[in-house]
Amino acid sequence: MVGDVNAALAVVLKDLRLTWRDRAGWLSAASFAAISVLIYSFAFDLATSDVRPLLPGVLWVTFLFAGVIASGQSFQRESEQGTFDALLLAPVSPSVLYFGKVVSNLIALLVMEVALLLLATILFDTMLITAELVLIVVIGTIGYVSLTTLLSTMGSRLRSRTMLLPVLALPLLVPMLIAAVRATGASLGEPSGSAPWTLLLVVFALWSAAGAALLFPSVVER
Amino acid sequence: MSAPGHAIDPPRRGPRDALSALLARVYALRWDVLPPLTGVAMMAMIVGALIVAPRELIEGELQRIMYIHVPSANAFYLAFFIVFVASLLLLWTRDMRWDAVARGAATVGVLFTGLTLATGAIWGKPIWGVWWTWDARLTSTLILFLIYSGYLLARSTSDVNDEQTARFSAVYAILGFLDIPIIIMSVRWWRTLHPQPIVFRGLERPAMPMEMFVVLLTGMAAILLLTLWFIVLRTEAERLAQRTESLRAAIDRREAP
Repeated sequence: MVGDVNAALAVVLKDLRLTWRDRAGWLSAASFAAISVLIYSFAFDLATSDVRPLLPGVLWVTFLFAGVIASGQSFQRESEQGTFDALLLAPVSPSVLYFGKVVSNLIALLVMEVALLLLATILFDTMLITAELVLIVVIGTIGYVSLTTLLSTMGSRLRSRTMLLPVLALPLLVPMLIAAVRATGASLGEPSGSAPWTLLLVVFALWSAAGAALLFPSVVER
Repeated sequence: MSAPGHAIDPPRRGPRDALSALLARVYALRWDVLPPLTGVAMMAMIVGALIVAPRELIEGELQRIMYIHVPSANAFYLAFFIVFVASLLLLWTRDMRWDAVARGAATVGVLFTGLTLATGAIWGKPIWGVWWTWDARLTSTLILFLIYSGYLLARSTSDVNDEQTARFSAVYAILGFLDIPIIIMSVRWWRTLHPQPIVFRGLERPAMPMEMFVVLLTGMAAILLLTLWFIVLRTEAERLAQRTESLRAAIDRREAP
Protein backbone atom coordinates (compact mmCIF):
# COMPACT_ATOMS: atom_id res chain seq x y z
CA MET A 1 0.00 0.00 0.00
CA VAL A 2 2.72 2.44 1.03
CA GLY A 3 4.78 1.22 -1.90
CA ASP A 4 1.86 1.93 -4.25
CA VAL A 5 1.49 5.45 -2.91
CA ASN A 6 5.23 6.03 -3.30
CA ALA A 7 5.12 4.74 -6.88
CA ALA A 8 2.15 6.97 -7.74
CA LEU A 9 3.94 9.90 -6.12
CA ALA A 10 7.05 9.19 -8.19
CA VAL A 11 4.94 9.32 -11.37
CA VAL A 12 3.31 12.57 -10.21
CA LEU A 13 6.67 14.23 -9.48
CA LYS A 14 8.16 13.00 -12.76
CA ASP A 15 5.23 14.36 -14.75
CA LEU A 16 5.15 17.67 -12.92
CA ARG A 17 8.89 18.08 -13.51
CA LEU A 18 8.40 17.33 -17.21
CA THR A 19 5.46 19.73 -17.31
CA TRP A 20 7.60 22.45 -15.79
CA ARG A 21 10.53 21.81 -18.15
CA ASP A 22 8.30 21.72 -21.21
CA ARG A 23 6.08 24.65 -20.36
CA ALA A 24 5.18 25.33 -23.97
CA GLY A 25 2.53 22.59 -24.18
CA TRP A 26 0.65 23.64 -21.06
CA LEU A 27 1.14 27.33 -21.73
CA SER A 28 -0.51 26.97 -25.10
CA ALA A 29 -3.46 25.19 -23.46
CA ALA A 30 -3.72 28.02 -20.92
CA SER A 31 -3.50 30.68 -23.64
CA PHE A 32 -6.15 28.82 -25.60
CA ALA A 33 -8.40 28.91 -22.52
CA ALA A 34 -7.77 32.63 -21.93
CA ILE A 35 -8.39 33.48 -25.57
CA SER A 36 -11.61 31.50 -25.69
CA VAL A 37 -12.96 33.46 -22.71
CA LEU A 38 -12.21 36.64 -24.68
CA ILE A 39 -13.84 35.19 -27.80
CA TYR A 40 -16.97 34.35 -25.80
CA SER A 41 -17.05 37.92 -24.50
CA PHE A 42 -17.04 39.26 -28.04
CA ALA A 43 -19.52 36.65 -29.32
CA PHE A 44 -22.10 37.02 -26.54
CA ASP A 45 -21.27 40.63 -25.69
CA LEU A 46 -20.68 39.74 -22.08
CA ALA A 47 -19.56 43.28 -21.28
CA THR A 48 -22.88 45.09 -21.44
CA SER A 49 -25.51 42.77 -19.97
CA ASP A 50 -25.67 40.87 -16.70
CA VAL A 51 -23.12 38.09 -17.19
CA ARG A 52 -24.30 35.78 -14.42
CA PRO A 53 -26.70 33.62 -16.52
CA LEU A 54 -24.03 33.02 -19.20
CA LEU A 55 -20.87 32.90 -17.14
CA PRO A 56 -21.11 29.29 -15.80
CA GLY A 57 -21.52 27.94 -19.32
CA VAL A 58 -18.67 30.05 -20.69
CA LEU A 59 -16.34 28.94 -17.89
CA TRP A 60 -17.11 25.23 -18.11
CA VAL A 61 -16.98 25.00 -21.89
CA THR A 62 -13.57 26.68 -21.70
CA PHE A 63 -12.39 24.33 -18.94
CA LEU A 64 -13.59 21.30 -20.86
CA PHE A 65 -12.12 22.21 -24.24
CA ALA A 66 -8.76 23.28 -22.87
CA GLY A 67 -8.69 20.47 -20.29
CA VAL A 68 -9.63 17.67 -22.67
CA ILE A 69 -6.99 18.75 -25.18
CA ALA A 70 -4.29 19.33 -22.56
CA SER A 71 -4.80 16.12 -20.53
CA GLY A 72 -5.21 14.19 -23.77
CA GLN A 73 -1.50 14.70 -24.34
CA SER A 74 -0.50 12.82 -21.18
CA PHE A 75 0.48 9.62 -22.95
CA GLN A 76 1.56 11.19 -26.22
CA ARG A 77 5.14 11.86 -25.23
CA GLU A 78 5.35 8.58 -23.35
CA SER A 79 4.35 6.56 -26.37
CA GLU A 80 6.49 8.63 -28.74
CA GLN A 81 9.63 8.07 -26.69
CA GLY A 82 8.77 4.51 -25.69
CA THR A 83 9.01 5.38 -22.01
CA PHE A 84 5.57 4.03 -21.27
CA ASP A 85 6.69 0.44 -21.88
CA ALA A 86 9.48 1.08 -19.38
CA LEU A 87 6.97 2.42 -16.85
CA LEU A 88 4.82 -0.68 -17.27
CA LEU A 89 7.81 -2.83 -16.32
CA ALA A 90 7.70 -1.35 -12.81
CA PRO A 91 6.51 -3.94 -10.27
CA VAL A 92 3.32 -2.06 -9.42
CA SER A 93 -0.23 -2.34 -10.72
CA PRO A 94 -0.92 -0.24 -13.84
CA SER A 95 -3.75 1.41 -11.85
CA VAL A 96 -1.08 3.02 -9.67
CA LEU A 97 0.57 4.55 -12.75
CA TYR A 98 -2.88 5.69 -13.82
CA PHE A 99 -3.52 7.50 -10.52
CA GLY A 100 -0.12 9.17 -10.79
CA LYS A 101 -1.01 10.47 -14.24
CA VAL A 102 -4.44 11.66 -13.09
CA VAL A 103 -3.03 13.55 -10.10
CA SER A 104 -0.33 15.30 -12.12
CA ASN A 105 -2.87 16.30 -14.77
CA LEU A 106 -5.24 17.42 -12.04
CA ILE A 107 -2.65 19.68 -10.42
CA ALA A 108 -1.64 21.29 -13.72
CA LEU A 109 -5.26 21.78 -14.77
CA LEU A 110 -6.32 23.25 -11.42
CA VAL A 111 -3.54 25.84 -11.63
CA MET A 112 -4.80 26.75 -15.09
CA GLU A 113 -8.45 26.86 -14.02
CA VAL A 114 -7.85 29.01 -10.94
CA ALA A 115 -5.86 31.44 -13.10
CA LEU A 116 -8.81 31.52 -15.48
CA LEU A 117 -11.25 32.20 -12.62
CA LEU A 118 -9.02 35.07 -11.59
CA LEU A 119 -9.01 36.45 -15.13
CA ALA A 120 -12.81 36.14 -15.35
CA THR A 121 -13.19 37.84 -11.96
CA ILE A 122 -11.25 40.82 -13.29
CA LEU A 123 -12.94 40.87 -16.71
CA PHE A 124 -16.55 40.48 -15.59
CA ASP A 125 -16.40 42.17 -12.19
CA THR A 126 -17.96 39.12 -10.52
CA MET A 127 -16.27 37.47 -7.55
CA LEU A 128 -15.40 33.94 -8.73
CA ILE A 129 -12.68 32.91 -6.27
CA THR A 130 -14.98 31.62 -3.53
CA ALA A 131 -14.52 28.43 -1.52
CA GLU A 132 -17.76 26.96 -2.90
CA LEU A 133 -16.86 27.67 -6.51
CA VAL A 134 -13.31 26.35 -6.18
CA LEU A 135 -14.70 23.17 -4.62
CA ILE A 136 -17.11 22.74 -7.56
CA VAL A 137 -14.23 23.27 -10.00
CA VAL A 138 -12.08 20.68 -8.18
CA ILE A 139 -14.80 18.00 -8.13
CA GLY A 140 -15.77 18.64 -11.75
CA THR A 141 -12.14 18.54 -12.85
CA ILE A 142 -11.59 15.21 -11.07
CA GLY A 143 -14.64 13.93 -12.95
CA TYR A 144 -13.43 14.82 -16.41
CA VAL A 145 -9.70 14.38 -16.00
CA SER A 146 -10.08 10.74 -14.87
CA LEU A 147 -11.91 9.96 -18.10
CA THR A 148 -9.71 11.96 -20.46
CA THR A 149 -6.53 10.52 -18.95
CA LEU A 150 -7.85 7.02 -19.62
CA LEU A 151 -8.97 7.92 -23.14
CA SER A 152 -5.60 9.53 -23.91
CA THR A 153 -4.00 6.06 -23.88
CA MET A 154 -5.67 5.64 -27.26
CA GLY A 155 -2.74 4.38 -29.27
CA SER A 156 -0.61 6.80 -31.21
CA ARG A 157 -1.29 4.41 -34.09
CA LEU A 158 -4.80 5.80 -34.34
CA ARG A 159 -5.09 8.34 -37.10
CA SER A 160 -6.50 11.78 -36.23
CA ARG A 161 -6.36 11.10 -32.51
CA THR A 162 -6.31 14.80 -31.53
CA MET A 163 -9.67 15.27 -33.20
CA LEU A 164 -11.03 11.94 -32.02
CA LEU A 165 -10.35 12.49 -28.33
CA PRO A 166 -12.90 15.31 -27.77
CA VAL A 167 -15.38 13.45 -29.98
CA LEU A 168 -15.10 10.42 -27.68
CA ALA A 169 -14.81 12.24 -24.36
CA LEU A 170 -17.42 14.99 -24.61
CA PRO A 171 -20.56 12.78 -24.99
CA LEU A 172 -19.53 10.83 -21.87
CA LEU A 173 -19.00 14.12 -20.04
CA VAL A 174 -22.44 15.62 -20.74
CA PRO A 175 -23.85 14.77 -17.26
CA MET A 176 -20.79 16.32 -15.63
CA LEU A 177 -21.08 19.46 -17.78
CA ILE A 178 -24.79 19.93 -16.97
CA ALA A 179 -24.22 19.40 -13.26
CA ALA A 180 -21.15 21.64 -13.14
CA VAL A 181 -22.85 24.51 -14.99
CA ARG A 182 -25.93 24.32 -12.77
CA ALA A 183 -23.91 24.06 -9.56
CA THR A 184 -21.74 27.00 -10.62
CA GLY A 185 -24.87 28.98 -11.48
CA ALA A 186 -26.35 28.19 -8.07
CA SER A 187 -23.23 29.41 -6.32
CA LEU A 188 -23.50 32.68 -8.29
CA GLY A 189 -27.09 33.05 -7.13
CA GLU A 190 -28.78 32.00 -10.37
CA PRO A 191 -31.99 29.88 -10.29
CA SER A 192 -30.88 26.30 -11.05
CA GLY A 193 -33.81 24.08 -10.15
CA SER A 194 -34.11 21.87 -7.12
CA ALA A 195 -31.92 18.98 -8.28
CA PRO A 196 -28.84 18.11 -6.16
CA TRP A 197 -26.26 19.17 -8.76
CA THR A 198 -23.24 19.02 -6.47
CA LEU A 199 -24.19 15.49 -5.45
CA LEU A 200 -24.41 14.52 -9.12
CA LEU A 201 -20.94 16.02 -9.66
CA VAL A 202 -19.54 13.96 -6.78
CA VAL A 203 -21.22 10.78 -8.08
CA PHE A 204 -19.81 11.42 -11.54
CA ALA A 205 -16.30 12.03 -10.20
CA LEU A 206 -16.39 8.80 -8.15
CA TRP A 207 -17.87 6.85 -11.05
CA SER A 208 -15.31 8.04 -13.59
CA ALA A 209 -12.31 7.62 -11.27
CA ALA A 210 -13.33 4.11 -10.17
CA GLY A 211 -14.38 2.91 -13.62
CA ALA A 212 -11.28 4.27 -15.34
CA ALA A 213 -8.91 2.87 -12.69
CA LEU A 214 -10.48 -0.58 -13.03
CA LEU A 215 -10.41 -0.56 -16.83
CA PHE A 216 -6.98 1.06 -17.27
CA PRO A 217 -4.95 -2.19 -16.89
CA SER A 218 -6.77 -3.89 -19.75
CA VAL A 219 -6.15 -0.93 -22.07
CA VAL A 220 -2.41 -0.74 -21.54
CA GLU A 221 -1.71 -4.48 -21.38
CA ARG A 222 0.66 -5.44 -24.17
CA MET B 1 1.99 -50.32 -20.64
CA SER B 2 1.97 -46.81 -19.40
CA ALA B 3 2.64 -45.13 -16.13
CA PRO B 4 -0.49 -43.90 -14.39
CA GLY B 5 0.49 -40.29 -14.90
CA HIS B 6 0.78 -40.74 -18.67
CA ALA B 7 -2.61 -42.31 -19.28
CA ILE B 8 -4.58 -40.28 -21.77
CA ASP B 9 -7.65 -39.02 -20.01
CA PRO B 10 -10.72 -38.41 -22.09
CA PRO B 11 -11.32 -34.63 -22.12
CA ARG B 12 -13.36 -33.77 -19.10
CA ARG B 13 -16.79 -32.42 -19.94
CA GLY B 14 -18.03 -29.99 -17.33
CA PRO B 15 -21.31 -28.09 -17.30
CA ARG B 16 -19.51 -25.23 -19.06
CA ASP B 17 -18.76 -27.41 -22.12
CA ALA B 18 -22.35 -28.60 -22.17
CA LEU B 19 -23.53 -25.00 -22.11
CA SER B 20 -21.24 -23.90 -24.93
CA ALA B 21 -22.25 -26.98 -26.96
CA LEU B 22 -25.90 -26.06 -26.47
CA LEU B 23 -25.21 -22.45 -27.45
CA ALA B 24 -23.31 -23.62 -30.55
CA ARG B 25 -26.26 -25.81 -31.53
CA VAL B 26 -28.72 -22.94 -31.09
CA TYR B 27 -26.45 -20.59 -33.04
CA ALA B 28 -26.19 -23.14 -35.89
CA LEU B 29 -29.95 -22.79 -36.42
CA ARG B 30 -29.74 -19.03 -37.11
CA TRP B 31 -30.23 -19.15 -40.89
CA ASP B 32 -33.15 -21.56 -40.61
CA VAL B 33 -34.94 -19.66 -37.86
CA LEU B 34 -34.19 -15.94 -37.96
CA PRO B 35 -35.03 -14.96 -41.58
CA PRO B 36 -38.43 -16.71 -41.88
CA LEU B 37 -39.51 -15.77 -38.36
CA THR B 38 -38.43 -12.14 -38.86
CA GLY B 39 -40.19 -12.02 -42.23
CA VAL B 40 -43.49 -13.27 -40.80
CA ALA B 41 -43.28 -10.96 -37.78
CA MET B 42 -42.46 -7.94 -39.96
CA MET B 43 -45.45 -8.71 -42.25
CA ALA B 44 -47.69 -9.02 -39.19
CA MET B 45 -46.36 -5.73 -37.86
CA ILE B 46 -46.97 -3.88 -41.13
CA VAL B 47 -50.49 -5.26 -41.55
CA GLY B 48 -51.26 -4.63 -37.89
CA ALA B 49 -49.91 -1.09 -37.78
CA LEU B 50 -51.51 0.03 -41.06
CA ILE B 51 -54.83 -1.88 -41.07
CA VAL B 52 -55.74 -3.61 -37.81
CA ALA B 53 -54.86 -0.90 -35.31
CA PRO B 54 -57.66 1.65 -34.84
CA ARG B 55 -57.24 5.29 -35.83
CA GLU B 56 -56.21 7.43 -32.90
CA LEU B 57 -58.74 10.16 -32.06
CA ILE B 58 -56.49 13.16 -31.60
CA GLU B 59 -53.32 12.38 -33.52
CA GLY B 60 -55.06 10.54 -36.39
CA GLU B 61 -53.06 8.35 -38.77
CA LEU B 62 -49.84 9.92 -37.57
CA GLN B 63 -50.01 7.97 -34.33
CA ARG B 64 -49.23 4.78 -36.29
CA ILE B 65 -45.58 5.84 -36.31
CA MET B 66 -45.51 4.64 -32.70
CA TYR B 67 -45.52 1.02 -33.94
CA ILE B 68 -42.04 1.53 -35.38
CA HIS B 69 -40.74 4.23 -33.02
CA VAL B 70 -41.17 2.43 -29.69
CA PRO B 71 -39.84 -0.97 -30.92
CA SER B 72 -36.77 0.77 -32.43
CA ALA B 73 -36.06 2.35 -29.06
CA ASN B 74 -36.20 -1.10 -27.45
CA ALA B 75 -33.98 -2.47 -30.22
CA PHE B 76 -31.12 -0.05 -29.64
CA TYR B 77 -31.13 -0.72 -25.91
CA LEU B 78 -30.86 -4.46 -26.69
CA ALA B 79 -28.06 -3.83 -29.20
CA PHE B 80 -26.09 -1.61 -26.80
CA PHE B 81 -26.51 -4.17 -24.05
CA ILE B 82 -25.01 -6.77 -26.41
CA VAL B 83 -22.10 -4.37 -27.15
CA PHE B 84 -21.54 -4.05 -23.39
CA VAL B 85 -21.56 -7.81 -22.75
CA ALA B 86 -19.37 -8.57 -25.78
CA SER B 87 -16.88 -5.88 -24.70
CA LEU B 88 -16.66 -7.37 -21.20
CA LEU B 89 -16.13 -10.82 -22.73
CA LEU B 90 -13.44 -9.44 -25.06
CA LEU B 91 -11.50 -8.04 -22.10
CA TRP B 92 -12.00 -11.26 -20.15
CA THR B 93 -11.26 -13.90 -22.80
CA ARG B 94 -9.09 -11.91 -25.26
CA ASP B 95 -10.98 -13.66 -28.05
CA MET B 96 -11.25 -11.32 -31.06
CA ARG B 97 -14.57 -12.92 -32.02
CA TRP B 98 -16.18 -10.87 -29.25
CA ASP B 99 -14.80 -7.75 -30.92
CA ALA B 100 -16.67 -8.75 -34.07
CA VAL B 101 -19.88 -9.18 -32.03
CA ALA B 102 -19.42 -5.80 -30.33
CA ARG B 103 -18.81 -3.99 -33.61
CA GLY B 104 -21.74 -5.74 -35.28
CA ALA B 105 -24.11 -4.90 -32.45
CA ALA B 106 -22.85 -1.29 -32.24
CA THR B 107 -23.50 -0.75 -35.95
CA VAL B 108 -27.05 -2.07 -35.62
CA GLY B 109 -27.62 -0.09 -32.43
CA VAL B 110 -26.54 3.16 -34.08
CA LEU B 111 -28.86 2.35 -37.01
CA PHE B 112 -31.87 1.92 -34.71
CA THR B 113 -30.95 4.96 -32.61
CA GLY B 114 -30.95 6.98 -35.84
CA LEU B 115 -34.30 5.44 -36.81
CA THR B 116 -35.77 6.27 -33.39
CA LEU B 117 -34.58 9.89 -33.63
CA ALA B 118 -35.83 10.21 -37.23
CA THR B 119 -39.31 8.74 -36.60
CA GLY B 120 -39.56 10.83 -33.44
CA ALA B 121 -38.77 14.00 -35.38
CA ILE B 122 -41.35 13.15 -38.08
CA TRP B 123 -43.97 12.64 -35.36
CA GLY B 124 -42.85 15.64 -33.34
CA LYS B 125 -43.18 18.25 -36.09
CA PRO B 126 -47.01 18.04 -36.43
CA ILE B 127 -47.74 17.07 -32.79
CA TRP B 128 -45.31 19.24 -30.84
CA GLY B 129 -44.79 21.79 -33.65
CA VAL B 130 -41.02 21.28 -33.73
CA TRP B 131 -38.70 18.64 -35.21
CA TRP B 132 -36.48 18.64 -32.19
CA THR B 133 -36.76 19.72 -28.61
CA TRP B 134 -34.36 19.42 -25.67
CA ASP B 135 -36.52 16.96 -23.79
CA ALA B 136 -34.84 14.45 -21.46
CA ARG B 137 -35.48 11.31 -23.52
CA LEU B 138 -34.62 12.92 -26.84
CA THR B 139 -31.44 14.35 -25.42
CA SER B 140 -30.26 11.11 -23.83
CA THR B 141 -31.00 9.18 -27.05
CA LEU B 142 -28.96 11.74 -29.00
CA ILE B 143 -26.06 11.38 -26.54
CA LEU B 144 -26.17 7.58 -26.93
CA PHE B 145 -26.11 8.04 -30.69
CA LEU B 146 -22.97 10.19 -30.31
CA ILE B 147 -21.25 7.78 -27.90
CA TYR B 148 -21.71 4.72 -30.11
CA SER B 149 -20.89 6.62 -33.31
CA GLY B 150 -17.69 7.61 -31.51
CA TYR B 151 -17.10 3.96 -30.66
CA LEU B 152 -17.46 2.94 -34.31
CA LEU B 153 -15.24 5.85 -35.37
CA ALA B 154 -12.50 4.91 -32.89
CA ARG B 155 -12.70 1.25 -33.84
CA SER B 156 -12.61 1.94 -37.58
CA THR B 157 -9.48 4.14 -37.53
CA SER B 158 -7.35 1.05 -37.05
CA ASP B 159 -6.76 -2.41 -38.47
CA VAL B 160 -9.62 -4.88 -37.80
CA ASN B 161 -7.18 -7.27 -36.12
CA ASP B 162 -5.51 -4.66 -33.94
CA GLU B 163 -6.07 -6.10 -30.45
CA GLN B 164 -4.94 -2.96 -28.64
CA THR B 165 -7.48 -0.76 -30.40
CA ALA B 166 -10.12 -3.46 -29.91
CA ARG B 167 -9.48 -3.40 -26.16
CA PHE B 168 -9.46 0.40 -26.09
CA SER B 169 -12.80 0.49 -27.91
CA ALA B 170 -14.20 -2.17 -25.58
CA VAL B 171 -13.25 -0.06 -22.56
CA TYR B 172 -14.92 2.95 -24.19
CA ALA B 173 -18.07 0.92 -24.87
CA ILE B 174 -18.20 -0.32 -21.26
CA LEU B 175 -17.81 3.22 -19.91
CA GLY B 176 -20.44 4.45 -22.36
CA PHE B 177 -22.93 1.80 -21.25
CA LEU B 178 -22.31 2.47 -17.55
CA ASP B 179 -22.72 6.19 -18.25
CA ILE B 180 -26.31 5.67 -19.49
CA PRO B 181 -28.02 5.83 -16.05
CA ILE B 182 -26.07 8.98 -15.13
CA ILE B 183 -26.91 10.61 -18.47
CA ILE B 184 -30.60 9.75 -18.10
CA MET B 185 -30.69 11.05 -14.54
CA SER B 186 -28.91 14.30 -15.35
CA VAL B 187 -30.98 15.19 -18.42
CA ARG B 188 -34.18 14.23 -16.60
CA TRP B 189 -33.34 16.77 -13.92
CA TRP B 190 -32.47 19.12 -16.73
CA ARG B 191 -35.91 18.90 -18.44
CA THR B 192 -38.77 16.61 -19.44
CA LEU B 193 -41.50 16.84 -22.10
CA HIS B 194 -41.68 13.38 -23.71
CA PRO B 195 -44.98 11.43 -23.34
CA GLN B 196 -44.80 9.23 -20.29
CA PRO B 197 -44.61 5.47 -20.87
CA ILE B 198 -48.14 4.07 -21.02
CA VAL B 199 -47.49 0.40 -21.83
CA PHE B 200 -45.68 -1.12 -18.90
CA ARG B 201 -47.03 0.44 -15.74
CA GLY B 202 -46.76 -2.41 -13.31
CA LEU B 203 -49.98 -4.39 -12.98
CA GLU B 204 -52.24 -1.68 -14.34
CA ARG B 205 -53.83 -2.14 -17.75
CA PRO B 206 -52.03 -0.29 -20.53
CA ALA B 207 -53.77 3.00 -21.27
CA MET B 208 -54.59 2.10 -24.87
CA PRO B 209 -57.12 -0.12 -26.67
CA MET B 210 -56.33 -3.82 -26.74
CA GLU B 211 -55.83 -3.85 -30.55
CA MET B 212 -53.20 -1.12 -30.33
CA PHE B 213 -51.45 -2.93 -27.52
CA VAL B 214 -51.33 -6.24 -29.44
CA VAL B 215 -50.02 -4.51 -32.57
CA LEU B 216 -47.36 -2.74 -30.53
CA LEU B 217 -46.27 -6.05 -28.98
CA THR B 218 -46.10 -7.60 -32.48
CA GLY B 219 -43.97 -4.68 -33.59
CA MET B 220 -41.63 -5.13 -30.64
CA ALA B 221 -41.22 -8.84 -31.41
CA ALA B 222 -40.65 -8.13 -35.12
CA ILE B 223 -38.07 -5.41 -34.55
CA LEU B 224 -36.25 -7.43 -31.89
CA LEU B 225 -35.99 -10.39 -34.31
CA LEU B 226 -34.81 -8.03 -37.05
CA THR B 227 -32.21 -6.59 -34.66
CA LEU B 228 -30.89 -10.04 -33.80
CA TRP B 229 -30.74 -11.03 -37.46
CA PHE B 230 -28.91 -7.83 -38.42
CA ILE B 231 -26.46 -8.29 -35.56
CA VAL B 232 -25.72 -11.88 -36.67
CA LEU B 233 -25.19 -10.69 -40.26
CA ARG B 234 -22.93 -7.79 -39.23
CA THR B 235 -20.96 -9.99 -36.84
CA GLU B 236 -20.26 -12.57 -39.51
CA ALA B 237 -19.26 -9.82 -41.93
CA GLU B 238 -16.82 -8.50 -39.31
CA ARG B 239 -15.48 -12.04 -38.80
CA LEU B 240 -14.88 -12.36 -42.55
CA ALA B 241 -13.10 -9.00 -42.55
CA GLN B 242 -10.85 -10.16 -39.71
CA ARG B 243 -10.02 -13.42 -41.52
CA THR B 244 -9.36 -11.65 -44.84
CA GLU B 245 -7.04 -9.25 -43.04
CA SER B 246 -5.06 -12.01 -41.31
CA LEU B 247 -4.80 -13.97 -44.60
CA ARG B 248 -3.50 -10.84 -46.29
CA ALA B 249 -0.95 -10.36 -43.50
CA ALA B 250 0.13 -14.01 -43.82
CA ILE B 251 0.64 -13.62 -47.58
CA ASP B 252 2.71 -10.48 -46.99
CA ARG B 253 4.87 -12.33 -44.49
CA ARG B 254 5.42 -15.21 -46.91
CA GLU B 255 6.26 -12.99 -49.88
CA ALA B 256 8.67 -10.84 -47.88
CA PRO B 257 12.25 -12.09 -48.36
